[in-house]
Amino acid sequence: MSSISSRRLAKELREIHSEGCPVGINLIEANDYAKWLFTIEVMGDSVYQNEKYTLQFRFDSHYPISSPAVQFVVTEGREAPMHPHVYSNGHICASILGNEWSPVLSVVAVCVTIQSMLASCKKKERPRDNDSYVRNAPENPKKTQFHYDDDTV
Amino acid sequence: MTDTPPPSTPLTPQGLRRPKQLPIDSDVEDDPLLTPLVLPSAKELWNFTGPEYLLSRGLRADHQCLSCSLEFSDYTPAQLYELNQQLKDDSVPERPLIDAVAPMSTLRAEYENGSPSFLKQIDWLTKNGFDKVQRTKGDGDCFYRSLGYAYIESLLTSKDKDFAVASALSLLSSTKDVLESAGIEKLVYEDFYDDFANLVGSISKPGEDGLVLNKERLLQSFQNPEVSNSIVIYLRFVTSAHIKLNRESYEGFLVHPDTKDIMDVDSFCANVVQAMGREADHVEIEALCRALYLNVDVAYLTGVRGDGVDFIKFHNRDEGEGAITLLYRPGHYDILVSNKRAA
Repeated sequence: MSSISSRRLAKELREIHSEGCPVGINLIEANDYAKWLFTIEVMGDSVYQNEKYTLQFRFDSHYPISSPAVQFVVTEGREAPMHPHVYSNGHICASILGNEWSPVLSVVAVCVTIQSMLASCKKKERPRDNDSYVRNAPENPKKTQFHYDDDTV
Repeated sequence: MTDTPPPSTPLTPQGLRRPKQLPIDSDVEDDPLLTPLVLPSAKELWNFTGPEYLLSRGLRADHQCLSCSLEFSDYTPAQLYELNQQLKDDSVPERPLIDAVAPMSTLRAEYENGSPSFLKQIDWLTKNGFDKVQRTKGDGDCFYRSLGYAYIESLLTSKDKDFAVASALSLLSSTKDVLESAGIEKLVYEDFYDDFANLVGSISKPGEDGLVLNKERLLQSFQNPEVSNSIVIYLRFVTSAHIKLNRESYEGFLVHPDTKDIMDVDSFCANVVQAMGREADHVEIEALCRALYLNVDVAYLTGVRGDGVDFIKFHNRDEGEGAITLLYRPGHYDILVSNKRAA
């Protein structure tokens, strides 16, 4: 029997291929069940107009029981969006990626949530502790215990 | 970890709500014999453990988004419980998701230097036939895991196994529609459902491995994170769907496990019930027992009375069918085993 993560990811991938991604979200790489890449654009009026970001998902064998490691790609000239919950190393401070992760969420649902997090942003700025965080941050954002204190951003 | 003795009583959960249906004589407000719990303060525990210790235990040092200060109360009761367990079990390897049945004396031994009322309550349970306990890991999923295990075990030991399994499978199958009505998609639940239904089905017909389920294999299955967590999450989905579809019964009673703020049905279900590692409280137990028509008795070992133990009953079937018994200690659930239960 294949692992629970590949069973589930195979189904999610089939659905993406048959039904496509929501507007502004595109799958650009899914060669295995370890890492997928998407591009994200915010549609309509927003501070991120005409900007495109790359979102990376990494899965362990316990996905979807355990959350995927999700971050923006910041290599090869790509940057993380300026956002109060997005660090310049691409890490994202969002409770659904941490202690409020639920297996009811799918990869596409996470993309949509991140897209709407960007869409509702009024002012481009980095988190206040960006420098100190980025200096000490682990490579994998899942190793960080974020303190979620603001649901309104 | 040599110079400071580990705390010998479990930590109280933050704002444990009083169980409803307490017997009249359990009003302990002015009981002169009441022994307060001796609890290490958050600060003491923090100093005692230190960030490196927490890190080495996988309780990661807290990173703060924006400029919040770390308070020990940021930990949920389940995390506090686990921390407490880790202090006790410093040299013991990691607990299995669920352990084999053990005599109550193993639990008693841990309280010997602690609160006398806990000891009295443990002795009361033993004297009243609850002489064994089956312990689960304190990972925030302990209620669902204990209940799932005890539920399948009750099918395994029922007099008419085939009938019990057939009814359980038909009930489980009907929960799929309930989940879909509550907006949980097939893609999301079907793998968990399959694991759950296959395990239950293997009681009467050999499963994928060609074997019929017995107690030993049930324990192995629940120690295997994949099967065990599938069942936990499916039970979480059933609980969530039941709350969503009966929202008028639950609205107003849903509070955030850490902040105790009132939550609306949808965010409670999304962020507390459907998320792994979030401890269950009274509301979730009520909902799950109603959804699966279960009789569950929860023994509250809280140290607030020394002359007995309160059992809170969640009954949704004929009384004659018996009940699953669980043991609650602040922040944690285990399975309580009665010597009257079929071997």
